[in-house]
Order: sequence, then structure tokens, then C-alpha cells
Amino acid sequence: MKKNKISIQMIQYELRNVAGNPFVHIFGVGFPILLSIIISQSVSASISDSTYLREVVTTIFLGIGSIIPMATILMGYSSTCSMDIEKDIPLRMRLFGFSEKYTIINRLLAEFVYMTFAFVIYFAVGILALKLEKPTVGGLMLYLVCLYVFAGIMFMLAHGIANLVKKFGLTYLITMLLYFGMMILSGMMGITVDQLPKGVKVVSNLLPSTYFNKDFYTVWVGKSYNYGPMIQSYIFMMAIAGILLFIMTYRSKRNLH
Amino acid sequence: MLLKMNQIKVQYGKTTALNIVNPIEICEGDRIGVIGSNGAGKTTLVKSILGIVPYTGSIESKITPQEMAVHMQFNEYSNSMAVKHIMEAILQTKIKGNPKLQELIEFFEFEECLSKKFAKLSGGQKQRFTIILVMMQDASFTFYDEVTSGLDFETRQKLVERLVTWYQDKQTGLCIVSHYYEELEQLTNKLLILDQGKVIDFGLKDELFHKYCGRAVLILTNSPENQKLLNGYEFLASPQHLLAIECESTEKEQEIASLLIHHNINFKRSNNDIELMYMNAKAMAGGYDHEEK
Repeated sequence: MKKNKISIQMIQYELRNVAGNPFVHIFGVGFPILLSIIISQSVSASISDSTYLREVVTTIFLGIGSIIPMATILMGYSSTCSMDIEKDIPLRMRLFGFSEKYTIINRLLAEFVYMTFAFVIYFAVGILALKLEKPTVGGLMLYLVCLYVFAGIMFMLAHGIANLVKKFGLTYLITMLLYFGMMILSGMMGITVDQLPKGVKVVSNLLPSTYFNKDFYTVWVGKSYNYGPMIQSYIFMMAIAGILLFIMTYRSKRNLH
Repeated sequence: MLLKMNQIKVQYGKTTALNIVNPIEICEGDRIGVIGSNGAGKTTLVKSILGIVPYTGSIESKITPQEMAVHMQFNEYSNSMAVKHIMEAILQTKIKGNPKLQELIEFFEFEECLSKKFAKLSGGQKQRFTIILVMMQDASFTFYDEVTSGLDFETRQKLVERLVTWYQDKQTGLCIVSHYYEELEQLTNKLLILDQGKVIDFGLKDELFHKYCGRAVLILTNSPENQKLLNGYEFLASPQHLLAIECESTEKEQEIASLLIHHNINFKRSNNDIELMYMNAKAMAGGYDHEEK
């Protein structure tokens, strides 16, 4: 019985899978909210200029927002996916007629739905608890587009890593290192990108999360901005994720008839 | 013909897990029992038909692997939700609006398990869960790979009874891999005997019994007294604690039965004992494929 389709029932199923992972709620919803409030409050004590404070708080808020796709998808999805692989659940689903392609699409959609839910809460708390700069329509749209593209890349990375490693423990270790690595390199852990050593800064500039943290305020308020380096970072990350998926597909084709 | 396997060979590294030399044809509605000891290639055979292991040779089939239903030896599901949600997602339906699914749930007494997570189900409940999903697929060919392994005697008996009842008036083709011969006696009409990846024989259950054990056999306890009493008769291969004598004619059967009754010795008569048939087929094959002998 072939079930080659995107269905509400399968998206609901995948959504339940996402919601069943408690770490996703902790790291994907609770942690960014807490972090944005704590950091914003700590800097507000040392800034007296309210306009500048608003700019700083908004910058912090927009930067920390990029943690949501990293936590819910890179860490959350990769751990769920690797646990499923360990238990041969993807094979079981294939034997029930679910093609891998549509399963991936259903999963991606479910991850996006959960991430949207996490963002709604994040923004609601942000608007209520923090003094944020009002965005331009274009700025808000660009922020959302960039976040979803970044989330898509995180999904590709998570899927590729989980399917190549096939073990939950190792997958979790790798994605955890990537998660904290990206946070440090993007200037979210106390050291700004400008304070990083020259060589490390090169790597930092290749990460889309760096631009969320460093530059997105400019886009948010509609000021002119050179998008070149930011676009390059997306292309770079997408290429890495694409290579990973290519290797994964090649290996699975070799293993299966 | 539903399915034909030609020269199927499956290698796991340097080990040949399955090597079918002569073609094997499975017809529509066939109920095939696959028997063989551990490592005989039973699960590998199922996996090759389903296309989930690489093989050489060809499998011609009227239906695609996606159109076949399968209960694998190990079936795992997500533990993030109650099994009813998994059931509804896999079957793309709602339990409330599906009378056939409701009937199956009731038939397998699964109502109380629906709100539990998969990890919280007992072994038998886990098996019943997959069986319901498999049966709902309504495939023309269904595999059951060691569906009762790991279950206690009573649960196993109940499950097999339900499978027999469910399939008795249906035309579904079945392929049942099992170490329990009584299950195969109840559920199958043909047998495929495998040993070390090779086919010993394939055919109708009764014909195979006739071929390897004769018209009927008398089975009794293996003891020095019984051996002495039946000295001169030829014994068939049998489990160590039993003696089995082939009865090629009614006269011979009556003669032996009279002798046993006269000496007040308990015995059992069979003309379809799969275990005896399997042991004798294996003994006759002597480790060689029947096609090569």
C-alpha cells in the first residue's frame, strides 16, 4: 500500500514526535526566552540612553532568536531521527508503504510548525517583557525568511548527520558541539565576533547565525545593508548540508537494493 | 503465479546467507511456512522479496514490495505518543470512522491498549499491534516473520488461534516464518525448508511428509525397552527423546500398533508432523541442496 503523500495525519504524527522530546521545549523555547531576558536586563543596567538601549536589546533578541532553529531542529530533530534509526523505525514505516521522500517532507513541515509555535511564544514574551524596536514590514519579512531558510539548512544537517552516524549518542554529541560551537562563533556566549581571533573570525563569518546576532538590527529597522556576506554564509552552509545529504544518499543506495 | 525467485543469492560480507539455485514459484493464495534452524536464511529470504537486502538473481512478481504486508521479527515504533495516534497515522484513517479497524481492534482485544505508549505494551500486545496494522493493509501477500517468538505458551496459542480464524475464509497469500511447527500446521499448506542458506525442499505439506516420512508414522518415547521391542524396524530421524517408525502400509501400521497396544505402550500416529518431516528432509539432504543431489 503506497502512501506517497503529504498528509495532515502524518504531519500530526511527526509533530507529536517532536513534542515528545522534552529537550526541544527546554532548549528550543525556554532557553532562548530566558537568555534574551537575562542578557537584556544585564545590559540595560549599564546603558542609560533609551534609544541605544532599545537597539541593543533588539539586537540581542534577534540574535538569540536564531537559537530556536538550532535547538528545535539541529539538536531536536537529529536526536529523534537517530533514535528512530537505531530502532529501525524508518524501515518499518517504509514497509508500511511510506516513501522516504514524503516522510522527510512531512517531518520538515512538522518541524516548521513546531518552530513557528516556538517563535510565537518567543515573540510574545519579547514584546511583553522587552523594549523592542518596531520593525519595518520588509525587515520583519526578511528576518522570517532568513530564519526559515536557516531552519531548512539545520534540517538538512540534522538529517544528514543522524543518517550517517545512525547512533543516538554520537549524533547527539556532534549536534551538541555544533550547537554550542555556532553559538560561540556567532558571538552569543559573551565574546563578540570582533573579539575573536582572525582565523576564527573567518569561520564565524561563514555562519548565518553570526548575521542574526551581529547585523540583523540594521535589516530589522530597514537601514541599507550589504547582503553579500550574509548570502555567502547561507550558500556555504547549504553546500555543506547538501554534501552531507549526498554522501548519505550514496551510502544508503549502496546498502539497499 | 504471484512471485518467482530465480537464482537468488544474498551475501553478507563473505558469508552466503541465501542461495536459491532452482526457481521457486509462489502462487496466489499460497500459504507458505518457511522453516529452518537459526541462520538458515529465513529472514534473509523475506528481506530479499521485500527488496531491503541486496541480492543477485531476479524476483519476478505481480505485485511490488510496497503492495506486500509484513510483520517483521522486530517491530518498533515511536514512544512519543499513544499507539492509537501511530495506528491512525500509519493507516491514514480515524479509528472512530473505520468499522473494519474497529472490528480488528475488538477481534484482537486491543481496546485498552490504544491509549498506551508502545514501550508500555507487553510482548503479546506489541505483536497484536503490528498484526492489526498489517491486516489493515489488506495486501494479497503477507509475511509473518516469527510473529510469536518471545511470547509465553498461552499468549502464543491465543494469537495463532486468532490468526487462523481471521484468515480461514480469506484468499490472502501468506508466508510464515516460524520455529513452532504447530503454528505452521495450522496456518500453512506449503513448506519451504531452508538449511544454511540453501533450499532443501519446497512443496505441499502433505506431499513433503509423504516424501520424507511415508504414509504415516508412529511416534513413541525413546527408551531401551521400546528400542528392544521394536528391534528390526527401521526408525526415522526424530528428536532424541522420541522414536518414529515409518508405516508404508496399513498392514504394517496395524502390526506395530498391535504390538505397542499389547505391551501397553503409549504412542501417537501422525501423517503430517512437520518436525519429523523437517528432520528427515534435513537428514536426507545431508547438508546439500536437494537440487544439487
